[in-house]
Amino acid sequence: MNAPAAGGTVVDEEVLRHVHLTTWFDLVGEMEKATSWGRRSSLWPFGFGLACCAIETMAVGAARYDLARFGAEVARATPRQADLMMVSGTVTKKMAPVIVRLFNQMAEPKYVISMGACSNGGGPFKEGYNVLSGVEEFLPVDVYIRGCPPTPQAFLHGLMELQKKIDGESYIRNWKLKRRPEIPVPILGPDLVDVRRAGEIRDKSAAAAARPAKPAPAGRPAPTTGDAMVVDAAAWGSTARSLRDEQGYDYLSNLTCTDFTDAFEVVYHLHRTGPGGPRLAVKVRADRARPEIPSACPVWAGAELQEREVFDLMGVTFTGHPNLKRIFMWDGFVGHPLRKDWTEAYYEEEHKSFASRWREGAYSSAESRSAWGRNVAYPAGFDATELAAPEPVETPGNVDKRQMLVSVGPQHPSTHGVFQMRLLLDGERVLALEPVLGYLHRNHEKIGERNTYLMNMPYTDRLDYLTSMANNLAYAVAVERLCGMKVPERAEYIRVIMAELTRVMSHLMAIGFLLNEMGAMWTPAMYALEERELILDLFEMASGSRMMCNYMRFSGVVADLPGEFMPLATRLINERLPRTADQVDRFLTGSEIVRARCQGVGVLSRERAINASASGPVLRASGVSYDVRRAAPYSIYDRFQFDVPTFPGGDVYDRYRQRLAEIRESLRILQQAVKGLPAAGPVIDKKQYLVRPPEGEIYSACENPKGELGFYLVSDGGMSPYRYHVRSPSYINLTALESMCRGHLIADAVLILGSIDIVMGEVDR
Amino acid sequence: MKFLGYHVAKGMLVTISRFANTYVQGVRRTLRMAPGSGGPGSQGIFTVQYPEQRLPVPERFRVLPVLIREEATGKIRCTACGICTKVCPTQCIWIVQAKGEDGKTKNAPESFCIEPNVCMNCGLCAEYCPFNAIKMDVKFELAEYRRQEVLRLEDLLVSSEYYDRTHPQATAEAAAAAAAKAAAKAAAAAAPTPATPAPGGTHAAG
Repeated sequence: MNAPAAGGTVVDEEVLRHVHLTTWFDLVGEMEKATSWGRRSSLWPFGFGLACCAIETMAVGAARYDLARFGAEVARATPRQADLMMVSGTVTKKMAPVIVRLFNQMAEPKYVISMGACSNGGGPFKEGYNVLSGVEEFLPVDVYIRGCPPTPQAFLHGLMELQKKIDGESYIRNWKLKRRPEIPVPILGPDLVDVRRAGEIRDKSAAAAARPAKPAPAGRPAPTTGDAMVVDAAAWGSTARSLRDEQGYDYLSNLTCTDFTDAFEVVYHLHRTGPGGPRLAVKVRADRARPEIPSACPVWAGAELQEREVFDLMGVTFTGHPNLKRIFMWDGFVGHPLRKDWTEAYYEEEHKSFASRWREGAYSSAESRSAWGRNVAYPAGFDATELAAPEPVETPGNVDKRQMLVSVGPQHPSTHGVFQMRLLLDGERVLALEPVLGYLHRNHEKIGERNTYLMNMPYTDRLDYLTSMANNLAYAVAVERLCGMKVPERAEYIRVIMAELTRVMSHLMAIGFLLNEMGAMWTPAMYALEERELILDLFEMASGSRMMCNYMRFSGVVADLPGEFMPLATRLINERLPRTADQVDRFLTGSEIVRARCQGVGVLSRERAINASASGPVLRASGVSYDVRRAAPYSIYDRFQFDVPTFPGGDVYDRYRQRLAEIRESLRILQQAVKGLPAAGPVIDKKQYLVRPPEGEIYSACENPKGELGFYLVSDGGMSPYRYHVRSPSYINLTALESMCRGHLIADAVLILGSIDIVMGEVDR
Repeated sequence: MKFLGYHVAKGMLVTISRFANTYVQGVRRTLRMAPGSGGPGSQGIFTVQYPEQRLPVPERFRVLPVLIREEATGKIRCTACGICTKVCPTQCIWIVQAKGEDGKTKNAPESFCIEPNVCMNCGLCAEYCPFNAIKMDVKFELAEYRRQEVLRLEDLLVSSEYYDRTHPQATAEAAAAAAAKAAAKAAAAAAPTPATPAPGGTHAAG
């Protein structure tokens, strides 16, 4: 605006007073304010979640935090309609190309919120071999939200910061900004290849060839003692059959492998579902030079995914396996990461804590330790420039003209995270299904073998991130059994209260999201999330975190319950949650729509359920009364009165009813536990941060909400486990997915997957 | 025989009653007969109007670690003993121990770094710190436009007054424990036999 000219006429003054004078740029500026206001008040987020943090974004969308107040609740399932990408969780290398592709498809102007430590800079899994050190390596991030995970309120704060940023933007003046070039999609070669750096990678790979490799951990020979049955590899096929058919070991609990310097030791933990009794451990040793043993799949179908895992991460070949290929890492990835002599790009030392951290702990970034300046490693002389060509399209030869190959996921609203199903369809009917995993493979086990026993506790929070308290309990019990520790009475009760509250919450969420899958969008899920909030309040009060509780310690719990805990918990357990269970029952169980969609869908027969090593509600809904709390009681579960409900049908409807029945049983346990909780007393027997279990091994399982969560620990008497394996129920329950889905419609496949109730953090680990 | 859709209608009653209840509770809230929304025991509308309203943060709530400096003396409590670096699961804590002019190490940090984008907020460092020097902060509004790789000593220091204010319960407990310890010490000095140490264990995480 021009200043009134000195000595101007009366007309000039009148004009200045009554006519709004502006310049072209000021006018544009006013318009910009309006467009920025419009844009920031109606952000359309891309409904996209990667890991733990995604659960908190879901909580933000629910009633308590109500993202709709910010005009940002219209979560789009397709990137083309979205302008806000919330990268919520660990970005793995396998997922990176997918994320870049999705981001490229979003319309400008587009924004990226990086949520949580993992997405900001790698987070706790930064050292892992399949983890990207922050999404900013590929995407332009607008706002970083700190926390692991950030609470919903922290997330809203981040969103408001983004709004402020949008307010200050000038798009009309900088219209060229709108046309940002597409980001080249990275390629999965021997490791993740950033196409933009192909030349640099080639040069550094040539230099790395001359560099001496870091000394790798040596490992140790297999112990000769132990009470496990050792079987010769050649005889394993017939022995397995006789174990199942003659001795009644019909259930393969766990299968894993340990890398010793003289052999790969594949260990099987078997159980009898009929008479029960202790588990049988069977070991089969494979030659290190040519590791090959017969597959157990023909005997126990439950070995299928577990053997693929061993093949992928250890490099042991199982002859006769129907589909032996990599499962977590992609084809072409170099090496078998769980072998002791295999080290990552950021590898520092064999065990934590690292010597570089203290006394002379001058900070140096992990990136500076890698020859390529990133969390990548390539074979010497690798030439990435040759790779920078379009990926060849895979065309399966045996697909009929009427058939379709459809890939659902890893970004799909109904796959519960970054799960991918490859479906072969005839019209809408599923002919074959293959789960594709690894998009959230965060290298728990490799990191776990470097950690001390206590350090693994907060990592277990991030396995099944909906049930961290129960994971804590399962891990604490395993180490306590290994060391022979005692737990004070009050701590035992607190543990049971926490674990059972977790179960109630997890099952409510499973039911809510199952209904989402059915098309009953959000109402039941919102109700579930409301109860979840109240339970999480209790967890937060006691442990300090809503999701990543890290509350249990070996021989007790971190701290006693705060004073206000019990009154709130008692009211919740005795009044509100039973009412909620009844409400869910009234709301859904009878509903004709639920019954029409669920009854007879995805039937898992009793025999198949046992053979495929299903566990938890999935197994019990097929009529098998197997609950670890009853079969092999841990903690103080033997003191409580509760039933192990089962349902005979094995379909989606029965799995729904199973969960509802289990909520009621958990509430029964909880009501007894709050009554029986000793008024005072110690909550931890011995507080210590260094635990050194005696040499030996243990497979210890607990009944998690999703099923049998087992920890297989091999101790060499040191401060870190020599082998740390997680038997994750979600993962093994997926074995039966294909047989449940075959012949059903694609919409039912989504439902069946929902009824298994998987959490990717635990599936991929 | 019930008509087709009977159970769907019955289920709808649940949603309708929940909807109606929001009004009932709204009236009750106006009359101050029901607690506000979002808290425990709240029914009806459940929303907390962040940022105008905030959920109370429990005292044990943990986000990133901070280092405590005594308000009265200005002294940093940390003695660079290194226990936090030894328990840290992600190994995101880096400490350089200070050295005197004579080359001998001093019980103080020369530099103290935490990588906030690696830290998993687990709280083990605060839990095992023998000097109450590292604590978990309750401040969660930490969004930023630029990623900060490292928090250095000057970023990490907060005054003990701030910590005491945000953690009244833990402060009171620590004071009581210190008083008990002093009393036991006095008693031990008076009595010829050494007093048995108080059973440890119930340590409130910061």
